[in-house]
Amino acid sequence: MTTIDASRPIDLASRPDNYLTHTRGFMSWALTLDHKRIGVMYMVAVLVSFFVGGVFALLVRTELLTPGQTIPGVTADVYNQLFTLHGAIMVFLVIIPSIPAALGNFVLPIMLGAKDVAFPRLNLGSFYLWLFGAAFTLVSLAMGGFDTGWTFYTPYSTTTTAGGVIPVLFGVFILGFSSIFTGMNFVVTVHKLRPPGMTWFRMPLFLWALYSTALIQVLATPVLAITLMLLVVERTINIGIFDPSMGGDPVLFQHFFWFYSHPAVYIMILPAMGIISELISVHAHRHIFGYKFIALSSIAIAIFSFLVWGHHMFASGQSPLLNTLFSLISFSVAIPSAVKVFNWLTTLYKGNISLTTPMMYALSFLVLFTIGGLTGIHLATLNTDVHLHDTYFVVAHFHYVMMGSALIGMIGGLHHWWPKMTGKMYSERTGTAACIIIFIGFNVTFFTQFFLGSQGMPRRYYDYQPEFQVYHVISTIGSYIMASGFLLTAYCLITSLFSGKKAAANPWGGGSLEWQCASPPPHDNFATQPSVGDCYDFRALKWDEATQGYEIDPALAAEAAKHPLH
Amino acid sequence: MIPAFHTIAATLAADASPTGTVWLPPAASTLAGNVDAMFNAINYICYFFFAVIVVAMVYFVVKYRMRKGQAFRSDAPLHHLPLETTWGAVPLLIVIGIFYVGFRDYLNMSTPPKNAYVVQVTAQKWAWNFKYPTGATSDDLYVPAGRPVQLTMRASDVLHSCFIPDFRVKKDLVPGRYSYLWFQADEPTPSGQGHHLFCTEYCGTGHSNMNRKVYVLPEADFDKWLTEQGQWLDKIPEEELFFRAGPKIYARCQQCHALDGTKGIGPSWKGIWARTHGGEGSDQKFADGSSYASLIGPGKKYATPEDYLRNSILNPGSELVSGYGNAMPSFKGQLNDKAIDAVIGMMQHMDDFDPKTGKYLKEAPVAPKVSMK
Repeated sequence: MTTIDASRPIDLASRPDNYLTHTRGFMSWALTLDHKRIGVMYMVAVLVSFFVGGVFALLVRTELLTPGQTIPGVTADVYNQLFTLHGAIMVFLVIIPSIPAALGNFVLPIMLGAKDVAFPRLNLGSFYLWLFGAAFTLVSLAMGGFDTGWTFYTPYSTTTTAGGVIPVLFGVFILGFSSIFTGMNFVVTVHKLRPPGMTWFRMPLFLWALYSTALIQVLATPVLAITLMLLVVERTINIGIFDPSMGGDPVLFQHFFWFYSHPAVYIMILPAMGIISELISVHAHRHIFGYKFIALSSIAIAIFSFLVWGHHMFASGQSPLLNTLFSLISFSVAIPSAVKVFNWLTTLYKGNISLTTPMMYALSFLVLFTIGGLTGIHLATLNTDVHLHDTYFVVAHFHYVMMGSALIGMIGGLHHWWPKMTGKMYSERTGTAACIIIFIGFNVTFFTQFFLGSQGMPRRYYDYQPEFQVYHVISTIGSYIMASGFLLTAYCLITSLFSGKKAAANPWGGGSLEWQCASPPPHDNFATQPSVGDCYDFRALKWDEATQGYEIDPALAAEAAKHPLH
Repeated sequence: MIPAFHTIAATLAADASPTGTVWLPPAASTLAGNVDAMFNAINYICYFFFAVIVVAMVYFVVKYRMRKGQAFRSDAPLHHLPLETTWGAVPLLIVIGIFYVGFRDYLNMSTPPKNAYVVQVTAQKWAWNFKYPTGATSDDLYVPAGRPVQLTMRASDVLHSCFIPDFRVKKDLVPGRYSYLWFQADEPTPSGQGHHLFCTEYCGTGHSNMNRKVYVLPEADFDKWLTEQGQWLDKIPEEELFFRAGPKIYARCQQCHALDGTKGIGPSWKGIWARTHGGEGSDQKFADGSSYASLIGPGKKYATPEDYLRNSILNPGSELVSGYGNAMPSFKGQLNDKAIDAVIGMMQHMDDFDPKTGKYLKEAPVAPKVSMK
């Protein structure tokens, strides 16, 4: 019952052909059905969007250095558009597709030992829908932009004079379908393309996370699509579903919106949790602790995610009874989250820990997600949420979860699979330094905002009371530190493409199937069906100085075979 | 378990500070004590779990760090059902306790006492209007000390939210619905210093300036203030109205209407008298193609300029100056005839006011007996 069959032909690495060199030319990428190329294109698109969203974030932070106007030309209206764009880009163009569509696309079929996803054309279609959605956002900017906040609350969104509201609603509508396509593809792929021997409970935990995520994507996103269409109809022909001046109910919109957008938070965080399970186990070279609890807690989180949307609305005028129920159910998310954190922690116990860059990101995630999760208690509790709702406390909390956890998980995953995707090793020293700078910058930026919020500073404020300025200055300095960390990361990864050392097939010592094929993988991933064992059993692996990677040692494999782990 | 939480909560309630802490602003309402106790209790729980997790993480990373090439140890446990169940169950018990205490207090917060003093609140882009049982209105909120106060709130355009951090209360104002919140402040605010009142539901351009003060007055002072507030306009003679009342009322208009010709959310008041009286700018167009000159005059839609101005305040959507959106809420029921006279009078004497501040320039205005603030 070992991971890897020692008799397996391992000469795939020496094959000259890989997915990057398999065919050449622009059209070979534009019309590719290869999940790896689609994953890479998604990754480039997501990172470009992340850069744009990040620039907007820095403009917002800089504007907040002083009360009133700080940057010439940035009036209240411009500021409102800046924070709206920052939110919409980061949520819809970056975080939601980042892990499933970019990293997931690349890794999922290889982890399954498959040649591709179940529906390769749908997969390419999903990418083009993403491009269309992003294009609509640009059209919106050309038509006067939008200042509704990423939440599009009515009746503000149906009455604002900003000209780009309808195009961006269409854009998000289309992006939703892109997300649904990816989700459907992954559900079918996980059900149908698992190799013989890979039972549900032998799947790598990243696949459990992607599978749970895909279920939410397929079930929740249509609700967003319907809601946004209703909003378009309301704005164009005044149908009166949400606007009370026409007999509608604005709180209904909030229910519709959060019925999608709360599960969407888990579309963002669940895949990152999956990545962390891989990162911690692989870089600690130690069997994941409590596999089943981690796997099932992903499903539990997916289910709970549909039952807690009302906790965004404790101050909305929703009835106290509903508030009470939503508060109670929201607390139930604490259980699977706590189980995951403690199981990851125990995975470090008696491990063989390498402090590689991906591991540094995994440890950052542990700290940041703990803070993000614990501050969720303040917000799920009814009486404290009344004070904290719509203040910077909420801003800090969700940045710890969506950026400190989801995005840091994504960047950690990117560093983890970078050698596999590109065939190149980056500088560990630069990568680790960048991770530490980002970690420090992040905490300076966002921990400060907890104080701002609990002291009473409302969110989405262009101007503010002078007593809040010191916190804003610290927070803005933190954002500059963080930005320099991200620039260093970009430098580290981009230079590795040109001057990085050649990556071994298994540079970290991973046990799942993607580490069995060459770096970068060949077009078909595997020449023969790989054998499947326990992907968290690392006992047969041994560091090989010659290839700068881990190889299966026949003696260790034979010894491990004599002592099954289970 | 539950009585234990009550004891802990009671102990922590002592933490609520009238001067504020590093985490929380001054606690100035009777509701603040429980909220602060809960907040602090959760904080302590967070510190504990954060410390456990980070210390364990750092310890494991240091102790089990491996050099490259070292042989793997493989004596670690794969799972441990009792342990895993425990660290699922313990947080569950703790959060159920937190939920219960928070829920009890929330019920109290969401049930206004029957004897509460009711103030009607209307929010619109981007101003607050507080209306007292006597019919008096104010832009800042004045409340009697030591008595429960209920705010009955509605919004006339988009969502707004009333947040008074020092009282730990917040509630959205939803167009088409009434919403409620209540509080009781026992300590009068020192003269000139009020508590912040913020709008916390994003409402557009002026959102971050839609904030006011809450003044808590001893009961007797409050009654006196209320009587005077109801009569402040009545006491001003007609001929002094435009410079004594005009600028005070204009304070509610300045978010959108500048005096120096700058284009705001709405048109500047500069030159408005000439425009409406057939002078310079009277050829300026409305959105429907008509002009000031074609609408105002004997036998036309508005027989006198005053008719037009009055209608623009009460039915602002009916004529839109070309280039401006339908953004202005109606002031029907908020400005009476005398107040409208004051505004029109100010427009007539525009040259006598400082175009930046709106201050009357001609002579030092007689100090008003009662301030709006």
